[in-house]
Amino acid sequence: MSVPSVRIAKERIVNLLVTDRLQCAPGTAEDLSRDLFHTMSKYMEIRPECFQVRITRSDIHIKYTGEKY
Amino acid sequence: MGEVIVITSGKGGVGKTTTTANIGIGLALAQKKTIVIDTDLGLRNLDVVMGLENRIVYNLVDVISGGCRLKQALIRDQLYPELYLLPSAQTKDKSAISPEQMRKLLADIKDEFDYVLIDCPAGIEQGFKNAIAGAERSIVVTTPEVSAIRDADRIIGLLETSGIQKNELLINRIRVDMVRRGDMMTVEDVTEILAIDLLGVIPDDEQVVIATNQGEAVVGTDSLSGQAYERICRRILGEKVDIPDVCCPEGFLERIKHLFSGK
Repeated sequence: MSVPSVRIAKERIVNLLVTDRLQCAPGTAEDLSRDLFHTMSKYMEIRPECFQVRITRSDIHIKYTGEKY
Repeated sequence: MGEVIVITSGKGGVGKTTTTANIGIGLALAQKKTIVIDTDLGLRNLDVVMGLENRIVYNLVDVISGGCRLKQALIRDQLYPELYLLPSAQTKDKSAISPEQMRKLLADIKDEFDYVLIDCPAGIEQGFKNAIAGAERSIVVTTPEVSAIRDADRIIGLLETSGIQKNELLINRIRVDMVRRGDMMTVEDVTEILAIDLLGVIPDDEQVVIATNQGEAVVGTDSLSGQAYERICRRILGEKVDIPDVCCPEGFLERIKHLFSGK
């Protein structure tokens, strides 16, 4: 069975909104996220899987889930 | 004191004018004194959707430039005595009025009505700025398509930075069959992406085309779209009305239930 087209639409709109909101080129959001991770990792021990950047219309949220065993 | 609501979308052709007409008529049917204002200068359409195109004498630009009094330009809908239309000008362009002039006009008239609905032109240029000046609340119309959602997000950002905080989403032309097939975004998808409150959902309904052909409304009829607009009007009036869940992929149990109920 082929991929439902909704999945492609959602992926495209989510990426579009991030570049629109940052007014940047496609892919810049990923670079930003990577740089933010590097910056934070200078000051604390974080793991990539616990780190997430979310870009809304007015805020950039950094989600960090904290210490894990 | 009246409430000024702008109906906007960014993208053209998603149903702003149809929505303005049907909500205006729905509020008038609920005995609320309502005025609908077409701010799309140069591309006048709201009058046509409402079937009032042959009654225009003066327009918005005439009122704002002092060429006539408001009462001379207002068209009272004979079918809905509580409803008034202030038509746009067909021969002027966006620069014929300014946001300050709109703000002043609205301040002058809002006390005379329960609701002032503003039909905004497509785009984010001068026409948009004119339409949102003086609005306290917005209805952002979108369809479940990538381009329309993208424009809606941009518009919501501009509304928020303009100081309009009450922005609600109307998702138009949902097709249940396509949603179930996985070929159209669900109401939940769109609401989650745009992250504002949902005012309502209008199903894709050929009755809208048939009504518009005749310059009539669907609200007040028992069509699916008409009922959806009626629920939206009741929500605008502050009633708690459920948004029926028309769009989720049907589970096995639901399918069995439908089979037995014959729906």
